[in-house]
Amino acid sequence: MAGNELAKRTLTLKKTFDAPIELVWEAWTQPEHIGRWWGPNGMPIKIVEHNFKVGGKWKYVMTMPNGSDFISHGVYSEIVKFEKIITSANFIPMTEGVEIRALFEKNGKKTNFTFSVVHPTEEYCRQQEKMGFYNGWGSAFERLNGYLKTQH
Amino acid sequence: METRRDVFQAIADPTRREIIDLLARQPMNLNAIAEHFDITRPAISNHIRILNECGIVSVDQIGRERFCKIEPRQLRQVSEWVGRYESLWMQKVDSFEKYLHELKSKRKKHGRK
Repeated sequence: MAGNELAKRTLTLKKTFDAPIELVWEAWTQPEHIGRWWGPNGMPIKIVEHNFKVGGKWKYVMTMPNGSDFISHGVYSEIVKFEKIITSANFIPMTEGVEIRALFEKNGKKTNFTFSVVHPTEEYCRQQEKMGFYNGWGSAFERLNGYLKTQH
Repeated sequence: METRRDVFQAIADPTRREIIDLLARQPMNLNAIAEHFDITRPAISNHIRILNECGIVSVDQIGRERFCKIEPRQLRQVSEWVGRYESLWMQKVDSFEKYLHELKSKRKKHGRK
């Protein structure tokens, strides 16, 4: 049925950044900036490839404290300056085959930002949503939420 | 000084989170809970006491057994709170926003636009 409907396999976040669109765009797209925010908790990353054009590849590597590499990479499929960036993305080993859509909209001196992650299937989307839980509390809270829902 | 216990203290410890997880599936007595862990029964008992004081687990003495059961009302508070932080992506976007603000104030200082 409608199981594959776009909305059902998409996670979307909306925010308004208190910064002009030029700066937001720069920080989002320039490698010297990306390196500063891409990793969680300020973890440094290595920008292996950043070919910011349609069809261009990007690849960032973050080395975990235990020495293993966390690799994210993808290919840009659409870039419209100050408007949108669409890219495929794989976050190995956690999330694969997703599409990331970042939409930017000028809002005076601020910038409206819509960030969507489109998953290949609804199932995968739900699974990923649950996996995103904080610091490995995920599985426990997932079951807990299921339990709480049965209580009302 | 007496410290007030709250629900977040209950979930601060990984063993307690596992206990909550176990009890969310079914009520259990203390021995049955202890069997799931490598730590001693008194240690489990202590965790249960804290969970009880936090209002997350109720303990009913039935004969010689102590039955532990989840109190969902308190826990809902936690799940709502965690829900706000659930997404990996949200962390990424937050991290971006934080950096953006740093960048913005840095540019201001240097008189650039």
